Amino acid sequence: MNNFFGEGAAVILGLGEHRVGTCPMGTIGLGSCVALILHDRKRSLAGLAHIMLPESRGTTDRPGKFADTAMNVLLEEMARLGSTRFSITAIIVGGASMFEYSANSLNIGERNITAVRDLLQAQGIKIEYEEIGGKVGRSVYYWPEKGRLVVKRADGTCTEF
Amino acid sequence: MELDPIQKDALSEFGNIGAAHAATTLSQMLMSPIEMTVPEVQVVDIAEMHNYIGSEVSAMVVFQIQGEVADGGYIVVSMPRETIIQMTNMMLGTTGADREINEMDQSAAIEIGNIMISAFLDATAELLGIVMLPSPPALAIDMAHAAFESIVAQVACDVNDVLIFNTVLTSDAPPVHGCIYMLPNADLMRQLILMLEQLMGPLS
Repeated sequence: MNNFFGEGAAVILGLGEHRVGTCPMGTIGLGSCVALILHDRKRSLAGLAHIMLPESRGTTDRPGKFADTAMNVLLEEMARLGSTRFSITAIIVGGASMFEYSANSLNIGERNITAVRDLLQAQGIKIEYEEIGGKVGRSVYYWPEKGRLVVKRADGTCTEF
Repeated sequence: MELDPIQKDALSEFGNIGAAHAATTLSQMLMSPIEMTVPEVQVVDIAEMHNYIGSEVSAMVVFQIQGEVADGGYIVVSMPRETIIQMTNMMLGTTGADREINEMDQSAAIEIGNIMISAFLDATAELLGIVMLPSPPALAIDMAHAAFESIVAQVACDVNDVLIFNTVLTSDAPPVHGCIYMLPNADLMRQLILMLEQLMGPLS
């Protein structure tokens, strides 16, 4: 818990972490990683995962780390709290290519985005808002209660949804 | 991944030799003394990384470690914007500290990174009796944590923690502040420890 939002307690999720709940949550400095937010408006409930890589290839110890396992664990935990797939919408942020003059190996942002989009489509979940790709790092804050999203960038610009 | 105190010491000494050479080349380039801290060697859980790498805007020059250790991980020079502008000014005789980062600053950052990291890898490779070379550099000027993520994704695919060597280089005049991070992958890390243990073993 920390006071990063300047609006009381909030949970900051590190690389590979995930969380489902009603409390404000966020991640700091998303680069190639993707923040997947699943939101159930009826229950003011949301899940957030700080996804690092597209595929788990059988690894299960840290489900938030990979797109496929993150999607499953968020949906499962939200279902346990009463959400149905039809009441859930998605927000995705991140997946940037941070490096100039780089070999492709460092630019996994694109692959992360594709993986997350494909998985959402397979689940029939609508993407309500996305801010992805580009060459810029982003910090994300989300308030499940109000469904409010704030994205801050390195150049100081800020958007709200 | 856990390191015992002896391994930590050995790795820290290894980083010390590399960073000392990098600091010397930087000081020669800028013609002013550069101070450095003893490298910290930390095993950091990826989920805790934002407590170690901040989200302030920095220039990060990244190299993959190549040579005898194929795809050995990454080595990074990170400098805040002000430092980059300051260094460009010193090297090119330009002025104005309050400007945006331009192309000149970018190529200066890459060049400074190149020279420092070549010195780092040269010195440490010589110590170990192997060849370590930097790949062509990649540059990001953005939130340090955001740039770091891409690197961590490459080295921590199968593991949940990364080994970070962190050395801080500073100078008062000109006001320079930079960090060198080395993130060896699991393979290189095992090799390093093995070679260092042999180096420190009793003579036979």
